[in-house]
Amino acid sequence: MMALFSSPHLHGGNHSQRLMLLVLAAAVPGLVAQIYWFGFGTLLNVIWAITLGLALEASVLLMRKRPLGFFLKDGSVIVTGLLLALALPPMAPWWLVSVATLFAVVFAKHLYGGLGNNPFNPAMAGYAICLIAFPTSMTLWTSSGEYFNLPDQWLWFWTEQGNVDAITQATPLDAMKHLQGNTIKEMLAANPTIVNYADAMFWINLAYLAGGLGLMLLKVFTWHAPVAMLSSLSIMAFLFGTGEPDLYAGPSEHLLLGATMLGAFFIITDPVSSATSRSGKLVFGVGIGVLIYIIRTWGAYPDAVAFAVLLMNLCAPLIDQYTKPKAYGQQH
Amino acid sequence: MKTLFDFPGGVHPPQHKQQSNPGKLMDLPLPQRLLIPLSQHIGAPAKPLVKVGDQVYKGQLIALATGAISANVHATSSGLVSAIASFPVAHASGLDAMCIELETDGQDTWHPDITTANPGQLDEQEIRQRVLAAGIVGMGGAGFSSAAKLATDTPIHTLLVNGVECEPYITADDTVMQIYSHEIILGTKLALGLLKQSTCKLVIEDNKPQAIAAMLQASAGHDDIEVIVIPTKYPSGGEKQLIQNVTGQQVPRGKIPANLGILCQNVATMKAIYDAVYLGQPSIERIITVTGDGVKQAGNYRLRIGTCADYVLQQCQAEQPNSQVIIGGPMMGFQLPNTHVPLIKTSNCLLVPSAKALSDASPAMACIRCGQCEIACPAQLLPQQLYWLAKSDAFDKIEQYNLMDCIECGACAYVCPSQIPLVQHYRYAKGMLRQKATEARQAELSKQRFEAREQRLLDEVTAKEERRKTRAAAAAAAQAAKQKTPAHDTAHQATLANNSATNEVSHKDLKTAAAIARTKLKKANKAYEDAKAADHEDTDKLQTMVHDLQQRSEQTAQALAEFESQVQVDPEAEKQAQITWAKANAQVRKLNKSAPDSSTPDDEKAAHKEALQVAQKNLEQAQAKLDHIKNSSKEAQS
Repeated sequence: MMALFSSPHLHGGNHSQRLMLLVLAAAVPGLVAQIYWFGFGTLLNVIWAITLGLALEASVLLMRKRPLGFFLKDGSVIVTGLLLALALPPMAPWWLVSVATLFAVVFAKHLYGGLGNNPFNPAMAGYAICLIAFPTSMTLWTSSGEYFNLPDQWLWFWTEQGNVDAITQATPLDAMKHLQGNTIKEMLAANPTIVNYADAMFWINLAYLAGGLGLMLLKVFTWHAPVAMLSSLSIMAFLFGTGEPDLYAGPSEHLLLGATMLGAFFIITDPVSSATSRSGKLVFGVGIGVLIYIIRTWGAYPDAVAFAVLLMNLCAPLIDQYTKPKAYGQQH
Repeated sequence: MKTLFDFPGGVHPPQHKQQSNPGKLMDLPLPQRLLIPLSQHIGAPAKPLVKVGDQVYKGQLIALATGAISANVHATSSGLVSAIASFPVAHASGLDAMCIELETDGQDTWHPDITTANPGQLDEQEIRQRVLAAGIVGMGGAGFSSAAKLATDTPIHTLLVNGVECEPYITADDTVMQIYSHEIILGTKLALGLLKQSTCKLVIEDNKPQAIAAMLQASAGHDDIEVIVIPTKYPSGGEKQLIQNVTGQQVPRGKIPANLGILCQNVATMKAIYDAVYLGQPSIERIITVTGDGVKQAGNYRLRIGTCADYVLQQCQAEQPNSQVIIGGPMMGFQLPNTHVPLIKTSNCLLVPSAKALSDASPAMACIRCGQCEIACPAQLLPQQLYWLAKSDAFDKIEQYNLMDCIECGACAYVCPSQIPLVQHYRYAKGMLRQKATEARQAELSKQRFEAREQRLLDEVTAKEERRKTRAAAAAAAQAAKQKTPAHDTAHQATLANNSATNEVSHKDLKTAAAIARTKLKKANKAYEDAKAADHEDTDKLQTMVHDLQQRSEQTAQALAEFESQVQVDPEAEKQAQITWAKANAQVRKLNKSAPDSSTPDDEKAAHKEALQVAQKNLEQAQAKLDHIKNSSKEAQS
């Protein structure tokens, strides 16, 4: 194609929609793994979050008097909905998903001016609001391999009816935080379900890692932020875990439990709310890794990706200020 | 294989080079009309040497360079000058410029002064003169005078001959290298001769195997010319990127390649230098690529400078000869505002996209800061930040983000997934920055002019006042000289009468008279000095006046002294003087006591200092008066 009015008249054919589609595709292995281990709740979350997200986006666009088709087809709201749904617990009821989606799309995104203008990662903002407002509902994770069948899950999703106690349990990160005088080893020996759960999380994290590496190879984002985050998290875990292995989880636990890989490759790589330059993304990633470790280990919440990301979103403009690359001819 | 240093960023657009059949050179029939712009280069336009109706011959100088980096313009065929006027030219602005229009006679007769030469028999100065006279400018697009470039004072160790041609579609340099490889080498040898201690690196992108082969063959045996093949990556042909790629150095900001001892020239320019020195032919033709899906006879054509684009398009059977044509490459070229414009020394390509390609362009979407542009930017800028800053008119900040280092290569916009016309935004911001700089400069000039005018008006008023005062003083002095003599006599007589009743009054009068006389003398003296300094005619008159006044002053002073020595000083006056002195003394002491310390604010300190000075002066005056009274009373008593 050729655009006449201003050079360059050639375009490489890359489209925002393509980037969004690639992200969606890369998240599929993780989604499948999550459904496989933790049930159909995640699937319902995804469908509901995307449907509601599109409806909310459309209504806000109407209110803002923007052309509907042009903006809806950029696909950004689908990505937001998907990532939010993947982060939410599988036993989240419809209203919880709705509140999170509403906050993500309307408040975190459109009130700031829509796509490209949001300082916070919309999915993480929606997630964090629910974690603060509805902590009990936000920690309803199923045991690995034990979950409702689809009709029961459907019923639970809309009415919250069902014997939920039989199928839910604390997450490994939560359990490691509340050792109650035991060492990690003792706690694991006493709770075989936690070990099973940790295995499930291991596979899910690997699935996200695979998808993320694919995106990196396709140059959807650069390696800087994910590598920086995973390295700093590992280094923190290594520094503290080596001294006190009984009390502090090691690098492998931190890398392969919780939302680490989802965060590293799908959340912090959101370009809009992250630092701009490549060196800025390194700082951004390191900050998130360190914050995740701190909040997981000493904070009040079992997982920390959302808060770490939001905190570093706040720092992004400052990071940008100090990580401007030297332009050609200024190295002298 | 030579080690290359690469450069950051860059993109790999589809090449489309075969479309224009590189290496095959075609001629078009001579057009009936040639339109030769006076400005085909950076620098001042050339000055016409011919007038309408003149017969000119091919290669004849028709407009003379008017500055160090201006360039001569020559008739590119024989014929009659039919107009010297403003015509639309190939410029993005669509503005007109002065051109010389030729009606060609079809004979294409060379001017008799065009003579071949053997450079071996020319000295350096003659070679330089031939290059200068030929009006050669950088044919890669820059349009900088080659003679000026080769005349650099800075020592040059490397001559980079640019045969990279990194823009897609264009194959003009490729064709020049394939067909004129020996001429390029001979031209390069001439340039090396002018630069003295220099070797040449001739750089070609690896997508031109025939050109590489031709140049390797032609340069064989020349140890000072090295052919370097670089990987295909846009914009590797940009001067700065080329230098970085081949030498690993960056041209420092605000400097030129010559500061690094490097000089860049295009391959076609080297061929033009050969033509000028060996054949004596000035820069009157060039090779241009006519290509794109919208043209049937795509290819490389040898064209006379001044051939109009619409003629070329018509000859090449372009789909849409009158609109939507890009001059230059698809990455950095611009759309011709209209096609009735001449092609000039720097025009390397006419690109005619198909109508379908044009309709495919999609509208811009929101920037998501994906950073693809940052990865593509060869100048290591942050295009996404520049875009946001340009959009919000944050011009101060955009300068800090080095907008002015942007080379407008278009790599950022090429990769942008949101199809944002980034370069357009940068051009806008650059324009605004330049405008702001111009405005600031103009404001400063206006301020200087205003201040100068105010000062001049003030000086005029002061001078006028000065003249008026001088005249008034002179007149008053003359008047006084006439009238005051009797007054003096009266006073003198009164003194002599020593009348105690009039004593006080007479003393006062005498003092006043003496003071007036002194002042007048002073003024008259000054007027005389001024007049003398200004060579005024009336100095003689003034001199007489000064002389008279001097006498008067002496007389009055004498009269006063006589009087004072005769009269007894009033004891009341002495008492008064003593009181005044005591008061002044007290004031000084008081002020000295309340002397400010370091904690006092500066303005208070200054006020105190001033008050103290005034008090001290008063004290001195009181002291002097008292002394005077005492002395005179002593004298009077004795």
